[in-house]
Amino acid sequence: MEETKNNGQLSLIVLNEDSSEATNTIKTAKAREVGSSLDNPSLGRSTAALSCVDTRSNQVTASSKANGNPSANKSRPSLWYALYFPQLNNLDDLQQSGALTKLASKAQNVSSTVSFHKLALVCEIRSSINYFGGINSLHDKLKDDLSTALIAMDQPEHFFYAASPTVSGSLLLARAGQNTLVYQKSNLRSALGTLSTGVLNLSKEQNRRLYNMGIRNLKDIWRLPTDGIRKRFGSEFVNQLNKALGKAQEPTLNYLPSPTFSSSYDLPYELENLDRLLPIVDEIIGQLCDFLTRRDLSTSHLVFSLFHEKRSPTCVEISLRQTSRSSTHFLLLIETYFHNLVIPAAVISISLDVKQFDAFISHTDALQLDGKPDAASRESNLNQFMEQLKARLGDNYLKNISCVAQHRPEYASTSPEFNGQSNTRSSRNNAQNKTAIRPRPIWLLEEPEQLVEKNGRLYHRKAISIISGPERIETAWWEDHDVRRDYYIAQEGNGSRLWIYRERSGERRWLLHGYFS
Amino acid sequence: MNSYTSTPNSLQAKTSDASSHIDQLLNGNPNLWRGCDMAGQGSHGHSTGFSQLDSILPGKGWPQKGLMEVITPQWGMGELQLLLPLMRSVIESGQWILWVSPPHSVYAPALVQAGIDTDQILVVKMDASCKDALWSMEKAFQTENCGLVLAWQNWLPGTVLRRLQLAADTGNTLGVIFKQNECKHSPSPTRIQIKESSLQKDHFSAAEVTVLKARGNFRPLSTDIDLYSHQLA
Repeated sequence: MEETKNNGQLSLIVLNEDSSEATNTIKTAKAREVGSSLDNPSLGRSTAALSCVDTRSNQVTASSKANGNPSANKSRPSLWYALYFPQLNNLDDLQQSGALTKLASKAQNVSSTVSFHKLALVCEIRSSINYFGGINSLHDKLKDDLSTALIAMDQPEHFFYAASPTVSGSLLLARAGQNTLVYQKSNLRSALGTLSTGVLNLSKEQNRRLYNMGIRNLKDIWRLPTDGIRKRFGSEFVNQLNKALGKAQEPTLNYLPSPTFSSSYDLPYELENLDRLLPIVDEIIGQLCDFLTRRDLSTSHLVFSLFHEKRSPTCVEISLRQTSRSSTHFLLLIETYFHNLVIPAAVISISLDVKQFDAFISHTDALQLDGKPDAASRESNLNQFMEQLKARLGDNYLKNISCVAQHRPEYASTSPEFNGQSNTRSSRNNAQNKTAIRPRPIWLLEEPEQLVEKNGRLYHRKAISIISGPERIETAWWEDHDVRRDYYIAQEGNGSRLWIYRERSGERRWLLHGYFS
Repeated sequence: MNSYTSTPNSLQAKTSDASSHIDQLLNGNPNLWRGCDMAGQGSHGHSTGFSQLDSILPGKGWPQKGLMEVITPQWGMGELQLLLPLMRSVIESGQWILWVSPPHSVYAPALVQAGIDTDQILVVKMDASCKDALWSMEKAFQTENCGLVLAWQNWLPGTVLRRLQLAADTGNTLGVIFKQNECKHSPSPTRIQIKESSLQKDHFSAAEVTVLKARGNFRPLSTDIDLYSHQLA
């Protein structure tokens, strides 16, 4: 019996010294357990599993591993460094989380485990202390980074900090603004005891009750029986205190930096011909697609930069209608973009940055019995076609057309730049229901052409005879471009069908406005 | 037992069934030429919406794929009216229409009046270069989402037309090229000409449509049709 316990203990120590072999050790511990099977070494086993989570996963950490287990304490108790930013309190929720994310990215310089709390960040620094050479130099490094980040956000650069062996403990100390460092967990109780109850962030009612009970500091609470507190203030309250003292587990959700991808390639010699860049682009795109596949992401916005000597770089922005991670599709688009691109000088270097990452959504292939492509693949084909057109022609040359509910003929149709989104469908349909009842021509001239009046007849190229009309349009007198016109449908001697009008004010000119094609 | 007694009847029915099935096969295949004038024969075309025109086109309608030239002395002769029913059915089938370098701006209310949803219309502007215009036409032929490509190009060499025809044919898409000058030796398989009606001069709605060339037709045929009947009613 004694022997098995020793075995369990031994394996645990090995585990703590060399975390990379954690799994191996667990295996050996298990083997021994099976071999002896005399006693139940549950103590050793549970700790081993716990530290295994700690060392191997960076995402969710079961912190404060010491649950009254002396061996784990001895080996490496974690030290939590809390950073409290009271100045963020006057921002709204969204801004707060944005600011904290920015600060967390700075805090990542000293710790791989950063978690978010209300107005505060907590990072684990026990392992970094040795690396940075003491808590002071670590703090200096962090302070510089965070101050610059805070100043960049137009916030006061001061913040409070504290370190202790528990997350909640550090948070409470930091909130009290004491900038304390507590190394030993045994000292935590007395260090926290001096704090006022205000740091607990309790509700008004609870504060009042504490006050009425004559409790001013946390140490007054330490003196009360736990059962009584639980009855009066609920288990949540007790749990918070237990966490602060390291008597309860504190799982934290860690900050994960957003993915970034940037790849560049310095050419061995200058290149004038963009076609010869394509193999390199191919390689970079390959890297990108690998990256995206590994992270299960896709992208909808890429920027290719071509660097030149002594010139500003040429940037090719590729934005996609639908997120993608298909290398062939990217290559095809880049080829099309390069086809139209004029570079001011030879290219010496090329880089790719991804501006927008999206979750990858795959669609299931339909059972294709009739050989016809299903709706999803048709949609993606359409998107690829549109993107190619956009890449080759540019935004200015590709247009949608749509109706506008307007009485003035020249404003009743718009050709917005093609953006691929038909999100205005409903509003457009509304407009379409309100179009004029009288016939309208398919071609509308951008600038009406003046007609010639000779011997009582109208001429454009040939003589014009009026078929029907007039349709009077008088509107927009409240604006600058008011319209007072009589529209007629007319036919020209050579067979063209025209839409002409006569101004009802001013020079009373006859003008040609469109063709009934 | 009943089925045995009725054998002669069912046999008859079967043979008539079979012959109608054969007819269906023969009529439905645009690649089959039966040695006769195909004008108004067969059923492989896409109805034009004008019965007089259907009766002089092979397959009783527009070809399903390939290149078609529409020749008018000038723009505004009703050349788009002729294609409105086709456009409507293309849009209804969920496909897109690409307009390549139209000579004037396309006026959406007119299309809406004709029952065409403008959501699936894409316009390549007139000032795009000819090369880009042809490139977009070819791309549109290759994708299966474009049901119809309309282009305004006056002068296209035979090689370009042949290339477009091949792309349209393989992509199963109909391409229409509007032009103002008639070129006798154009390689396009279908050529339509619109002129002022000679019978009803000065009649606004009437126009004379001539099928100059169509696969299977022996000679040019023309007919008078009421182009604007549905619009100016």
